[in-house]
Amino acid sequence: MRNILTIAQRELVAYFTSPMGYVAMFFFLGVCGLIYVLSSAMSTPKADMTGMFHSMVFLSLLICPVITMALVAQETNMGTYELLMTRPVRDYEVVVGKYLGALALYAVIILITAEFPLIYGIFGKPDWGQTMCGYLGIFLTGMAFISIGVFTSSLTSNQIAAAAMGIFILLFFWLVGWLGAGGSGVIGEVAKSISIYENFQDFQRGILSGKALIFFVTLTGFFLFLATRALESRRTV
Amino acid sequence: MIEVAGLTKYYGPHPAIMDVSFSVKAGEVVAFLGPNGAGKTTCMRILTGFMPASGGTATIAGFDIHEQSLEARRNIGYLPEHASLYRDMRVSQYLRYMGKLQGMGSVALKDRLENVLGRCGLSDRGGQIIGTLSRGYRQRVGIAQALLHDPKVLILDEPTIGLDPNQIREVRTLIKSLAGDHTVMLSTHILPEAQATCERVIVINQGRIVGDDTTAALTHQSRDVEMMMFRVKQDDASIPGLLRGLPNITAVRAIRGDAGAYQVETTIDCDCRSDVARAIVDKGFGLLELRPLEMTLEDVFHELTTEEEGVG
Repeated sequence: MRNILTIAQRELVAYFTSPMGYVAMFFFLGVCGLIYVLSSAMSTPKADMTGMFHSMVFLSLLICPVITMALVAQETNMGTYELLMTRPVRDYEVVVGKYLGALALYAVIILITAEFPLIYGIFGKPDWGQTMCGYLGIFLTGMAFISIGVFTSSLTSNQIAAAAMGIFILLFFWLVGWLGAGGSGVIGEVAKSISIYENFQDFQRGILSGKALIFFVTLTGFFLFLATRALESRRTV
Repeated sequence: MIEVAGLTKYYGPHPAIMDVSFSVKAGEVVAFLGPNGAGKTTCMRILTGFMPASGGTATIAGFDIHEQSLEARRNIGYLPEHASLYRDMRVSQYLRYMGKLQGMGSVALKDRLENVLGRCGLSDRGGQIIGTLSRGYRQRVGIAQALLHDPKVLILDEPTIGLDPNQIREVRTLIKSLAGDHTVMLSTHILPEAQATCERVIVINQGRIVGDDTTAALTHQSRDVEMMMFRVKQDDASIPGLLRGLPNITAVRAIRGDAGAYQVETTIDCDCRSDVARAIVDKGFGLLELRPLEMTLEDVFHELTTEEEGVG
């Protein structure tokens, strides 16, 4: 546990000693702010975060693979990986530590967007229950996105390749739900239940869905497991 | 302290090391000598638990590197070949990070950090960002990192590569000062380095151990003649004949393309330099230079590998 926290702390600090953390923050918050201001100015503003959550989860899809692309790939590329893996640290501790470091940055970014519902709160009466539920959904989605990013970063020493693979897998889990839009066959049902977008929908509407909660936690666990296996397999090559 | 038996590693069908066995006693400083690509780094990566062997076993401080990998790794300080460090971190921040991963408590870490920074000549660099350090200082940070947790075994892969002569001397002095308290294994492809820092040398070539002895014994064992060269002011055709008449001298050859320079072969363990000098000075040829010819790494390898092939 101590090793996990040590690694997580280093990764979080490293985001702010390099441009990466600032760039991710600037992009996410900048675009979110723009959408917030424009949507408030161009239509009759409603104190409702549904539209914002939709934008935020899509932006997460873009920034998460960028946040995570360096985690393992850069260490491999720079050669720091060798020293890290010869410390008395278990492979899963490295994976989970790096995962938590990236998740912490994501949480900080999401926390800053709390200004949007707070501003609604000054001028109107937002549904706080729905808002909290939406934020939980955003966070759970981020958990899954980042675990996928950690996995792809552990496959290669090229950060761009890691990010590209990450976005590809994310888009798969995002778009697979379309298969379920047309029919109600078995394939459609399965596609819907493994779609990140479909599972996020409930949270966005303010429904605390146990099924979706289990989906996100399972997806996260699965990709962290794969990332650990990827590190283990490197030892044997 | 380090026990290696029958270690073998294949990269695909190609063996990087074959049946490597040796043992290092506590407190010894041993050089792992071999040309580039001989399997030194592969061997060290296996010992440090970075990758598993295809066959054979090894123990560090009594812990099997495969079965008890974490315990073994706890007892190792490792300087990898290129000492890659996190360039965005500050020196002491980096060392604290590595110390924590090594399982050190914050009190122990504080004590050791000062000590190690001083020992590696980094006392005034603790706050500097690693990316802005020169090659030599980065190497010192790498060594500091290996020493930090006071490990029983230190494995240093090419610790002086890329350093300038002054820095090389400093690093060698540092390594020598570790003998006794630590068991040190360092790799190098430079014979004088092995001679300067270590009492024992393990020679590896093409993945096989071809020599394992004290530095002095190894250079003796690997050749059956001593060599020296001298240079005279006035070259004379009678010089080879004159010297062949002296005891213990087996051959005298003029060095081609270098007028007045000669190479002399003598039997082992007889320092004939004074006899040779007297003979030349008495005849009035004007002795300009006289020195023993150092055995080069190439020579040692040539000798050791041809010998091995003869046996096998």
